[in-house]
This record gives sequence, C-alpha cells and structure tokens, in this order.
Amino acid sequence: MLRSFGLFTVLLMVLEWTSPGLPSPLWPICDLRALDHFIKKAQEAESAMRSCKEECSLAEPFTVPQPSVDFNAWRRKNAQQQAQEVQSGLWLLSQALRSLKSSISNTMLHSHIDNNLGNIISIGQVLRSLSLPEYSPSEAGPTVQDTWRVSSASALFQVHFNFLRGKVRLLISHAPICQQAIS
Amino acid sequence: MTNVSLTRVLAFCTLLCISNYSFVMCSRELQTKVNMLLQDEEENPKCFLKGTVKIFCFWERGEDNGTTDPYTFRYTYEQEDTTVCPVEVLSSEGGRRLYSCENFQVIFYVPLYIEVLRDEQLIHNRTLFTDQIFLLDPPSNLTLNRTAKPGQLKVTWLPPYFIDNGLLYEISYSVTGSQKGKREEVRIKTDLLLQGLQPGVSYSVRARVRPQSSGFSGWWSAWTDPVSMEMPYETDPLILSMSIIISLILLLLSLTILLTHRRFLLKKLWPVIPSPEGKFPDLFSVYKGNFQEWMNHGNGGMRWIPAYYYTEEPVAPLEVLSEINRGPPLPSRMSAHTHRDPQAAGALGAQQQREEAVPEVDRGSPSAWSAVQHEAWMLERMRNLHPTPISQSSLLESHDVYVALNQSLPKPQDKEEAEERRDGGGSGQEDILEESVPLQTLFAGSGTRSSASHSDLGSLQQSSGRLSSQSSFEYPNQTWPPNGPSYTYMAVADSGVSVDYSPMSSGQLTKTERRPKPRVIYTNEYKNDLALIHKYKHWQLSGQPTDSAC
Repeated sequence: MLRSFGLFTVLLMVLEWTSPGLPSPLWPICDLRALDHFIKKAQEAESAMRSCKEECSLAEPFTVPQPSVDFNAWRRKNAQQQAQEVQSGLWLLSQALRSLKSSISNTMLHSHIDNNLGNIISIGQVLRSLSLPEYSPSEAGPTVQDTWRVSSASALFQVHFNFLRGKVRLLISHAPICQQAIS
Repeated sequence: MTNVSLTRVLAFCTLLCISNYSFVMCSRELQTKVNMLLQDEEENPKCFLKGTVKIFCFWERGEDNGTTDPYTFRYTYEQEDTTVCPVEVLSSEGGRRLYSCENFQVIFYVPLYIEVLRDEQLIHNRTLFTDQIFLLDPPSNLTLNRTAKPGQLKVTWLPPYFIDNGLLYEISYSVTGSQKGKREEVRIKTDLLLQGLQPGVSYSVRARVRPQSSGFSGWWSAWTDPVSMEMPYETDPLILSMSIIISLILLLLSLTILLTHRRFLLKKLWPVIPSPEGKFPDLFSVYKGNFQEWMNHGNGGMRWIPAYYYTEEPVAPLEVLSEINRGPPLPSRMSAHTHRDPQAAGALGAQQQREEAVPEVDRGSPSAWSAVQHEAWMLERMRNLHPTPISQSSLLESHDVYVALNQSLPKPQDKEEAEERRDGGGSGQEDILEESVPLQTLFAGSGTRSSASHSDLGSLQQSSGRLSSQSSFEYPNQTWPPNGPSYTYMAVADSGVSVDYSPMSSGQLTKTERRPKPRVIYTNEYKNDLALIHKYKHWQLSGQPTDSAC
C-alpha cells in the first residue's frame, strides 16, 4: 500500500516537473479573428457601461495601461519589451475589472465584466502560443511605465477596448512566428 | 497720384489677408483626396491621415456672408491637453472655400475629440480614432509586363508608405475606352498576373489601395493613372513549328498513299466501262451498231467465242438441251431427202409431208418455242437427278441417229401419232440415237470444236435472232422438269432442216432392215462419232457453230 502510494507520488512529481505551467497550444494562433471577437466584446461592454452613471462611478480611480501607441517609439522596442508592456497592461486591466466587479451590483454588468475577464485569460493563451516571453508580475505590482488613471467604468472599458485593438493586436500581428507563417 | 493710392490699397488688402489666413495651394494628390472625402464623408470636420503621422481636417464655410471667417479648430486626445490648430483657407475646385487644420499630432488607439468654433461658437465637433481614418496615396510605379505566355500581363506596383505591409490592393483592368472591366484584389503582394487577355486588344490597368490589417481602417485611395498596353499577336513558336511538321508529314503520307494506290483509286473513282467495240469487229465502224446486219455479214455469222462474251462475269455452265421427241422419231429421215435413197422416198411420202410441216408451225409459234425450251431443261434436270440415264446400249440400239433442229415438242395430236407409229413400227426405242446423250455444254470451255455440234446460220435468220437447239433425242420415259428463272441454258436455233444420218453400224443396219417397219436406206454414209461423244458426255460447246455435216 505504501509502496503504491510512493510510486503515485513520484509520478505526480514527474508530471509536475515536465509541465510546470499551463499547457500551451501546439500550434501558434496567428489568426486575429479571435482577438477581433474579444475587441468587439470590449466595445459592447463600454457601450453598456455608458448607461450606468452613478452606480458605475468609482470611489477610487483605477490604474490602467496607456492605450495610445506612438509608432516610432513602438518600433524602437524589441519583442520582449513589447510583450512585457502588453502582458503588464493586461494584468492591470484584469485587476481593474475585478475591482469594478466588486464595486457594482448590476448582474447584467457583471456578465460583461466576467466575459472580458475570461477574454483576457484567453489572450494570455494566445500570447503563449506565439512563444512570446513570459511575464510574471511581482507582488509589488507590475512596473508599467505609462499608465492612466480612470474613474468610471465606461472609461475603463474604453481603455480596455483600445488597448486590445492597439498594442495587443500590434504585438500578435507582428509576432515573429506569425511573420514566418505568412512568408 | 492715382496709381500710387491704388497700389497702397492692394498692398493693404494683401497684408490683411495674409495676417488672417494663409492660403494653401492644393497639390494634385491633396485635391483628389479632398474631393473624394467631400463625396464619401458626411460628418464635419472631415479628417484623414496624411501618411501616418499627420492629420488633415477640413470643413466647408457656412453661411457667414462672405466676410471674415473667425474659425477656431481645437482637438483633444484622451488623457491629454487640448490643443488649438491654426486654420488655413484651402482653395478648392468649383469655387468652394475650405478651411483646414493640418499636421497635428497623431496618437493611435486613443479617442480624439475635435471642435470647430466660429466666433467662439461651436459649429462642428466629433470624436474619432486616428487608426480608422487612413486615406493612403495610390500605389506608385504601376507597370505592365508581357509574359512568355500569350494572353497574360504581369502588373507590378510599389506600395505607398504605411505602418506595415498589411495593405489591400485592388487592380482594375479593362479594354481601353471601355467602361466595363474586371477587378481583382491582392493582399500584401505587389504584383498580379492578368490572364485570359485577348490578343490585339489594348488594356488599361489601374490600382488603388487601403489598409487591411493590424486593425487599421480607412478609405480606398484614389486610382492610379491608367496604364495601357496592347496585347501582341503572339504564337508559340514551338506549337507553330510542330504544326508545320505534322502538316508536312500528313501531306507526304497522303501523297505516298495516292501514288501507291493510284490505279486502285482511279479504278474506284472512274471505273473502266467495257467497250464492245473490240469484241465485235466492224460492228460499230462498218455496221454502225446494227447487230443484225453485222451478224448477217459477219465471217460465217456470229463467232461463238465464249471469251468474247461475259468477260467480266464469272463462268457459268450453259447447257444446250436436247429436245425430247415423243412424236414421230424420224422427221429428218424424210426431210433429208437430198441425201436419201430414192427408193425410200416413195414409201415415206405421206409422213414426209407431215413432218416437214411441223417445223413450219413451230417457228411461227413463240409459245411453243419456249415450251420446248422448258421441257428440254426439265429433261436435263431429270437426267441429273437420276444418275443412271438411258443406257448406252439402248441408245446405241436406235437405228436412226439424227439431229432435228428447231423441232418442237409434239403436240397432243403428235403424241398420238407418235404412239401409233411406235406401236406400229416398234421402232421407238430403236430410233433413239446415241446422240441423244445430253449435250451439256460449258460456256467457258476449252474452245475445242465438236463435230457433233451442228447449227445453221440459216435457222438463225429465220428465227429472228432467237437461238434454239433442239435435238431429236427421245426420252420416252422422262418428263421435262420446269426450269427456274435462274437456270442458265442455251437455246440453239436450228435451221429446220432435218438431217438424216446413216446407220451407225452395219449390224444395226441389218437389224433394222429385218424389221417390218419401213426402213430407211441412207445414201450417204454417216460416220458416226458417237463414240467420241460418249467419251465426253459433258462436252463443251466449242464456240463457233459449224455448218451442218451435210
């Protein structure tokens, strides 16, 4: 009995060692239609939040990533810097969405928030499939250089929407592995 | 003095204008874009990206009485300060007066708030994203190149300046001067192969572009200037040479076949029509085709040379049928009076007269004539059916051997007379000649003449060209089978002159003389050659008829 339990423990240790993180897809996901779907959902959530005035006002502004892109500055960054900026921005957005969810009680708005939170996780899977460098924020929080502070739910989803169709899309569409697939 | 004051006024106005607005002389490209947006965009102010880093916005002048235009243009990016852009007057086609603000900063993926004020009053405002207002320059250096294959053109161009290569091109090509054409879209690539073009036709090609990837959007650019090229009449030299070689080979083959089978083809196309002129000498030259006259004046009448007739047809046997003579068996005995013994003439007077009358009747009756032929044929057929015909001995026993030409079958009356004669004399069997052996004749015979074949030219003349051969062979126990229409036989005419022959042998003669019937004494010795005839039971017609032995 003890012997079989020991073998099972060793097997679990080997499996844990061979796949320490989440399994990544076998093939790179370069198709931007999934991202376009996530962008559309973010836009719908922004429109829904506009109808919510007082309830959706935040007591404290949230820190969100800066969605604007300066192409000259963006091109000067390498892939690792671009990936880190995107992944840190997604982490900031997910934190802000969780805070928003806890502050409002509208169930319809909750569904929008949950949907966008799930989309952020999916985008992380897509980035993992593209063999982009992993980013794990420290406990002190991400070191995001350019951040904004938003004080409304609609402003939060607007940043989310623009961040997805801006930096995230630029990163995925210009990923080296996707460029090789195209050529 | 007046000129000086006028100059000062103009200078003042110019300075006044320059101080308020700066006039922008549109380039051709900018003018085209402005005109496009005036048609396609409804909101004001109308803005588009010039390249990737500058924004150009313009609007039309409102109802301001044409005086000064105190317009203010300001814009604000999200999380940024508001900026005021200097307004310029844009001269446009059609006398429109446009105001513009250009070359202000571009920030993507961030909302841009734009306000246009006149006299501090807001007249236009809108929010837009700069990544959605691309209006690119058209592709440059559009070039058409012919390819190795006919009916194809390769179109190449250079892309406009853009953030990346995610552009969508549209290539339009049509026959020069035609409004209708085809359009094809090309993503990312900067070349296109046009196929299915007609040779000898001039085609015009143009292109335009718009952003397609990376989330950028905008309008189609203006069309490039059309580039035309005429498709040449080109033929593949390989196909041309192969076609020529194959044609030559076919020509040579047909010539060879024509030369080798020339005779065959000539015979098939123009078959030789046999001319009877060579077969019938003097028929057409001397007698002018009159066959009867030619036969009368010919050398001994018709030449019965089988080779002259039916040269083209297969050889068929022809039988000369002998006629059964059931009547009085010895008509010739009386008719051959010129060679007869004068002593016998008196004894046979009456019978002679009767038998001489028979041929006269027969010649004048065609139906009787044909009946004779039929019965002769039937006799021969029966003989063939029964392989043991009348024995030679019985034939040889006949005392009278003769050939009766042109003698019909006895009529019923004649039959009775014959029976009476037979009963009375009992010489029916004895009068059967050995010559009564069937005279089967093959037309394609060797051409040897048989002495036993006798014909008379005179009979031919009397029978109006019809030939009949009738011999007086008797087959008392046989009947004539009817002949079919396809059965070939030869009818030989006789002269109607009966010939009496001498007895075959002295023994027979003696035997005959012993009989009580009136016997015939022949003055002319007849050398019977029946032995020869029996040797050749199926002897062939020699061809030329011979004169009677008498």
